[in-house]
Amino acid sequence: MQQIVIKKPGKYEYVLQKEGEELEILGAFQIETDTCEVQVTLIHEAPHTKGNIFLRATVSGEAKAHFSGNIIVRPTAIDTNSFLTENILLLSEKATAEAIPNLEILTNEVHCSHAATVGHIDAEQLFYLQSRGIAAEFAETMIAKGFLTAVTDKIKKDL
Amino acid sequence: MPPLSTDNNAATSTDSYTYIAKPGLTEDVIRMISGSKNEPEWMLKKRLEALAIFYKMDMPTWGGDLSQINFDEYHYYLKPTDGEVKSWNDVPKDIKDTFDRLKIPEAERDVLSGVKAQFDSEVIYGSILTTLEKQGVIFISMDEAVKRFPDMVKQYFGRLIPSADNKFAALNTAAWSGGSFVYIPAGVEVTMPLQAYFRLNAPQAGQFERTLIIAETGSKVHYVEGCTAPAYSASSLHAAVVEIFIKPGANVQYTTVQNWYKSVYNLVTKRAYVEAEGQMTWTDCNLGSKLTMKYPAFILAGKGAKGETLSMALAGANQHLDAGSKAIHLAPYTSSSIVSKSISQKGGRASYRGLVQVNPAAHHVKSRVVCDALILDPESRSDTYPTNKIYNSSGSLEHEASVSKVSEAQLFYLMTRGLTQNEAAKTIVSGFVAPLIKKLPLEYAVEMNRLIDMEMEGSVG
Repeated sequence: MQQIVIKKPGKYEYVLQKEGEELEILGAFQIETDTCEVQVTLIHEAPHTKGNIFLRATVSGEAKAHFSGNIIVRPTAIDTNSFLTENILLLSEKATAEAIPNLEILTNEVHCSHAATVGHIDAEQLFYLQSRGIAAEFAETMIAKGFLTAVTDKIKKDL
Repeated sequence: MPPLSTDNNAATSTDSYTYIAKPGLTEDVIRMISGSKNEPEWMLKKRLEALAIFYKMDMPTWGGDLSQINFDEYHYYLKPTDGEVKSWNDVPKDIKDTFDRLKIPEAERDVLSGVKAQFDSEVIYGSILTTLEKQGVIFISMDEAVKRFPDMVKQYFGRLIPSADNKFAALNTAAWSGGSFVYIPAGVEVTMPLQAYFRLNAPQAGQFERTLIIAETGSKVHYVEGCTAPAYSASSLHAAVVEIFIKPGANVQYTTVQNWYKSVYNLVTKRAYVEAEGQMTWTDCNLGSKLTMKYPAFILAGKGAKGETLSMALAGANQHLDAGSKAIHLAPYTSSSIVSKSISQKGGRASYRGLVQVNPAAHHVKSRVVCDALILDPESRSDTYPTNKIYNSSGSLEHEASVSKVSEAQLFYLMTRGLTQNEAAKTIVSGFVAPLIKKLPLEYAVEMNRLIDMEMEGSVG
């Protein structure tokens, strides 16, 4: 599967025009200041195409994550498989997030889904690491790092 | 309408005082609506203010296609029964067939098709109303409430959905007619669902219904509007407004079954204000209309308030159902849950459009949104447009949506068990909407299942 890694905020649009084309779009962001706005649109035009958008961000300080993802399946794109995932972890009290995952599906031979979550570090996870002798602050950093690893681990080495 | 007098003087006086307003929305029309209801001055003032706002506001540029609406073409006030079908013979054949197949009782058919203005069975419903009155419950038409409980109406009317909220709320405030006024005193639990068409002395569903529900502390009520049978109506623009006030610990469920005729624009604003530990449940079934834009909202303003929306849409040929829900979290420990199920077929389009907003003061919020869509043929379309705005980091929000078709494997499995292909498809679709249908009162659930079966006929192949 072809891969694209998004490293900077901005607007990105990709069109799958070749039959059977497959595309994975990955993005992992550590947002510490300002607003980080990422907009990704994936358009399926050809039949039998596959798409996977996976975005994750940790937000600290007073920063803000603004993620919007769009999957558009045109009537010509039969047998489409497409997924969009946006996960945002808020690390500080003043961190905020907007997550907008859109789907526009114009044919029926499809499997499409999206999921978005916005959450904070689970007290139980912290407690577990603390019970193993890890200081709370360090434990938080570990969890935040691990959260982004889910995306970064997928990135192929040669990129 | 009473027969016109042959007396010459009387005839000329009716010329200027006909109940059918001329097409178009002008100040005169509003004055006429207000005048014909003998409304107090303050209500007329509210209407005129709203009219000015209506003129100024732009049409929404998002959602469905509203470009075909020409406000000058519509009649803004038809006296009940005027302009409606006069006899059973005038009811369109497809509607009659639907009644037959839904097995709707004869007495109800007349009412539903607009032949008769209300039920004849005053004995049964009359006794229900007496029981309610003893508990202190008020369940009357909005027109009547303006006269009998002006203080309460003044206090709540337009507080949650002001005229300037959107163009159609302004239109409704200017030209409203009909709708219900419901007041539940503190601690009272209404055990039977209140059904809009049980209400006596009330005109049939109007174009611009206005409903106000006030549930005092610790009370509980379930309100049901609409019906599964197609609501035939001569007018093609409907813009209702529903405002619900839920006091601490109160619980309101509002169920809508919308099956407007397929030429109707249905543009509705519904909102509930929920105080501490209160609970609001919207159950919203959309089947009819040409275009529906409806996003029942709850504002969770008190600690521990809960909101729940169960929304279903079945979009067929030439239909666009743009439905969803809005959850606004203002207070800590509030929770919301939105479940949307949509089915599009025969070239129809079903959209989910929703908003979850968690304000900075709302800590420890929980929100979950699930949208499932089924597309039954290649011509149909399904969209999901959710917006999630999280301004407090202590909560958790989950959103998931999936779009798929009825799979060959599912169909094949059921067919090996002896079902025909059509039966198999119907079974899968009923299973898909079952979580929502379960929440409906029994008689609605039965009719709804039959209706979905009917609408789906010949759609999967």
